[in-house]
Amino acid sequence: MPNLLELKEVHAGYGPRSVLHGVSLSVPEGGIVSLLGANGAGKTTTLRAITAGVRWSGDIIFGGRSLRRLATEEIVRAGIAHVPEGRGICTELTVDENLKLGSHLRRDGAEVRKDYDRVFEYFPVLKERRKLSASTLSGGEQQMLALARALLMKPKLMLLDEPSLGLAPLVVRAIFQIVKSINQASRVAVLLVEQNARIALELSSSAYVLEVGRVAVSGASADLKDNESVRRSYLGY
Amino acid sequence: MQEFFQQVVSGIAIGGIFASLALALVLIYNAMGLVNFAQGEMAMFATFVAYALINRGMSYWIAFPITLVLAFGGGILIQRLVIKPVERAPVLTLVIITLGLATLVNGFAGFIFGYVPRSFPSPFSADSADLFGVFISYRDMGVIAVSGLVLLGVYLLLQRTTVGLTMRAAAHHPEASRLLGVQVSWMLALGWGLASAVGAVSGIMVAPILLLEPNMMQSIIIYAFAAAVLGGIESPLGAVIGGLIVGVTVNLAGAYLPGVGGDLQLAVGLAIIIAVLIARPNGLFGRAAIRRV
Amino acid sequence: MMPRLRNAPPRYWLVVIAVVFFLGFPTVISSFQSSLWAQALILAIAVMGLNILVGYSGQLSLGHGAFMALGAYTSAILAHRYKMDYLLTIPIATLFTGLVGFLFGFPALRLSPLYLALATFALAVVTPSLIKRPEGLTGGVQGIILIQPDPPPFASDLFAAVTGTAMTSDQWIYYISLFCALLLFWVAWNLVRHRPGRAMRALRDGEVAAAAYGVNIAGFKTLAFGISAFYAGIAGSLFGLATGFVSPDTFPVSLSIQLLVGAVVGGLASIPGPLLGAIFAYFLPIEANQWVPSQSWIPDQVASTVKNAGPAVSYGVLLILIMIFAPNGIVGLIRAGYDWLYRRLRGATDRETGQLPPDPQTV
Ligand SMILES: Nc1ncnc2c1ncn2[C@@H]1O[C@H](COP(=O)(O)OP(=O)(O)O)[C@@H](O)[C@H]1O
Ligand SMILES: [Mg+2]
Repeated sequence: MPNLLELKEVHAGYGPRSVLHGVSLSVPEGGIVSLLGANGAGKTTTLRAITAGVRWSGDIIFGGRSLRRLATEEIVRAGIAHVPEGRGICTELTVDENLKLGSHLRRDGAEVRKDYDRVFEYFPVLKERRKLSASTLSGGEQQMLALARALLMKPKLMLLDEPSLGLAPLVVRAIFQIVKSINQASRVAVLLVEQNARIALELSSSAYVLEVGRVAVSGASADLKDNESVRRSYLGY
Repeated sequence: MQEFFQQVVSGIAIGGIFASLALALVLIYNAMGLVNFAQGEMAMFATFVAYALINRGMSYWIAFPITLVLAFGGGILIQRLVIKPVERAPVLTLVIITLGLATLVNGFAGFIFGYVPRSFPSPFSADSADLFGVFISYRDMGVIAVSGLVLLGVYLLLQRTTVGLTMRAAAHHPEASRLLGVQVSWMLALGWGLASAVGAVSGIMVAPILLLEPNMMQSIIIYAFAAAVLGGIESPLGAVIGGLIVGVTVNLAGAYLPGVGGDLQLAVGLAIIIAVLIARPNGLFGRAAIRRV
Repeated sequence: MMPRLRNAPPRYWLVVIAVVFFLGFPTVISSFQSSLWAQALILAIAVMGLNILVGYSGQLSLGHGAFMALGAYTSAILAHRYKMDYLLTIPIATLFTGLVGFLFGFPALRLSPLYLALATFALAVVTPSLIKRPEGLTGGVQGIILIQPDPPPFASDLFAAVTGTAMTSDQWIYYISLFCALLLFWVAWNLVRHRPGRAMRALRDGEVAAAAYGVNIAGFKTLAFGISAFYAGIAGSLFGLATGFVSPDTFPVSLSIQLLVGAVVGGLASIPGPLLGAIFAYFLPIEANQWVPSQSWIPDQVASTVKNAGPAVSYGVLLILIMIFAPNGIVGLIRAGYDWLYRRLRGATDRETGQLPPDPQTV
C-alpha cells in the first residue's frame, strides 16, 4: 500500500530546546498506526510537527507532497484532521457550532448532510445537545464531539492525541470502536497517539514506540503485542 | 413628566450612537484582548470621508454605505500594516500602538481637512412627531432606527453566518480554530474591518449633533468606554445595553443634576467607568472568571 | 514582556558629563532658550515618574497629565490666593499629588493593566473640563497668572561672574528645575537598586512569583502609583512656574500622550531614557514649527496646517514605529549598537584564538 504520510528524520523542538531527534515513520492509506511511548517522549510534538504547530526540520510528505513551509490552515485544508491533546473544543460555542466549524470548508452539501446523519448515528448524545454550549459536555462527550468534528472535515488522515485520556474504560471502548468504524467506512487513515498501549495495539495494524524523541521500536502491532520483552520494557504492561 | 420622557428618548438615540462605538470596541477586544484606543479617531476619519463624498454631490444614502465599505477596508488595512506585526506582543505594547494610531489619525485628519468645525447633514427632518403626548424628533427616531439596524446586522452576521462563526471561533480559540482550517489571522483582520465599519456609523450619526472636526470623537469614545465597561467588555449585547444606559444617564444628568451640563457631562462618563471598575469590574454581562493581564 | 529596567551601575563619567553640560548650558544659550530647556527637564521628571510606574509595576497610566495638573493647580492656588512663596508651594503640591496618587492606587491596583490604561485615559480627557468648573478656585477658562521669582543675589552674582550678564528669572527657574530633576533621577536610580525596585519588578514579572518572594503586592502597586504621581506632581508644579501661568488648556489629553511618547522614545527600560525621550518629545514639535514655516518652498497654507497637525502625526508615527521596531527606545538602540560593536570586537579575538562560536541548534 502506498504511504499517505511519511516523516523522514524529523527534528523538532520548542525554542532552543530540541525534543524530536530524527523521527521517521509512515502511515499507509486507509491504515491505522499507533504512536506509543511514555509521558514526555515526544508523541504530541510529533503530531504538532505534522500540522505545523512547532518548527521542524527533515521532511514530512503527505499525499506525495512535502508539508515544508505550509501553514497549519493549509495543511488542514489538504486533508489532515488533528484532534489535539485536550481535544480542542471551542467551549465558547455550542455543540452545533463546533460541528459546523468541522464542515465549514466543504462545498459538497449533500455529502455533508449524510455525514451529519452518520455522526449523529455514532453519537446520538450530540444530537440531543446540539443547542447547548460545548462547555456543558462531560469529558467523554467532548471527546465524541472532537471526533465527530474531525469526521465532518472529511479528512484523508486523522491525528488523534490520546483520545482515551481521562475517560472511563467503557467510554474508551465505545470511542475506539467508533474510530474503527470510521476508518473502515470512509477509508480514513488514523495516526493514533496513546499511552494506553494495550487498547491501541488492538486497533492498529502497525505501531511505533517513541523514547525521548527517537523511535525505539516499530513493527506490526500484533508482533509488538506478542513480544514479551518489548511489552515489558516499552509498553509497561 | 413629558419632558422627562423626551430626555429619555433622546438619551436612547445618543445611547445608540455610543452603543455602535462600544460594539466596535468589544469586537476588537474579543478578537485580541485589546481595547482599541483609536476606534473613535477611525470613526471620525470615516465621517470625514462621508463628508467629502456628500460634498461632491453624492446623495446621503449612497455615501453612507460607500463610507462603511471604505471604513471596512481601512480597518483591514490598519490591522495588516500596524497590528499584525505585533500580534503576539504584550497587551500594553498593543495599547501604546493603538494610542499612536489614534494620535496619527487625528493629526492626519487635521492635516487633510483642517480644524474648522463643519456642519454635517442629517437625512432626517428636525421636526417632531407627537407619540402619545411625547414629542419625539424625527432625528432621534432616525438615529435609533439606523443604530438598531446596524446592531441587528452585526448580530446576524456573527450569529447566523459561517464567516461570523469562524470569526468568533478565531477570536476565542485561535489554536483550535487553526486546526479546523480557519485562517485566524485573516479573521482578526475581518474583525478590525467590521469594527471600523460599525464605529463609522457612530461617527456619521453623531456628526450632525456635534459638528465635524478632528476632535469630535474624543468625548464619544469616553462614553463608549463607559458603555463597554458597563456591559462587560467582552459582551456585544452588553455593549448595546451599556450604550443605552450611558446615553440615558448622561442625558438625564445633564438635564436634571444642577451643575452638570455641557462639559461636565463627560465627567459622568468618567464616573461610570470608575464606579463600574471598582464595584463590578466584569460589568453587567461579563464573565467573572476571566482576568486578562 | 515589557522591557525591564536595568540594574546596571551608571557610567559615572557619563553622569558627570551630563551634569556639567546642563549646569553650563544656560551660560551659552539665550534666556528664552533656557526657559524651553527648563520645560524639557520638567517633562523629563514627569516621564521618569511614568517610567517608574510602567517599568516597575507593569501598569500603564495614560492620565499622568492629570496629576501634573493637580500639582500645578495646587501650587498656583496656594501662591495666588494664599500669597505663599511659590518655591514653598512646590514641596506641598508634590506631596499632596503623591498622596492623591497613592490613594488613587488603591482602586487602581485591583484593575488589570488594560482597564487602568482605559480609566486613566478617560481621566486625562476629562481633566480640562474638571478644572474649568470650580471657577472661583481655578480661575476657570482664564486660568491663573503666576509671578515668576527673581533669582536670589548669590545665584545672580555667580551667574554674572561667569557670563557677565545678570541672571534672568527664566534662567533661575531653569536651575531650580535642573536641581529637582537631578535629585529625582538620583532617587529613581536608588529605587532601582534597592528593595522597592526589586520588589516591584518581581511584581511586574508575575504576581504569583512576587507573592512567593513575600512581596506585598497590593502595597507595592499602590506605592508605585504614589511615587509616579509624586513625580508628576512636582513636574506640574514646576511647569506652572516655568510657563508663568496655568489654565485648563495647559493640560490637554495630548500632554499625557506627550509624556507617553517621551517614555517610549527614550526607552521604558532605563534611567537615562526619560531624559532623552522628554527632550526629544518636547523639542520635536517646537523645532518642526520653526523649521516648516522657514522653508520658502512650503506654501503658507500647508505650513499652517502642519503647525497644527504636525505634532500629532509625528507622535503617532513615532509611537507605532518604536513599539514595532525598537520597543526599548533610544536607550535600547544605543545598547544594541554597543553590544553589536562589542561582539564584533570580541568575535575578531575569538577567531584569532581559533575558537568557533557554538553551533546553532538544528531546529
Ligand atoms: N510548549 C512546550 N514548550 C516547551 N517544551 C515543551 C512544550 N510542550 C512539550 N514540551 C516538552 O517536550 C517534551 C515532549 O513533550 P510531548 O511531545 O508533549 O510528549 P508526549 O506527548 O509524548 O507526552 C517534554 O519533555 C515536554 O516537557
Ligand atoms: Mg502528549
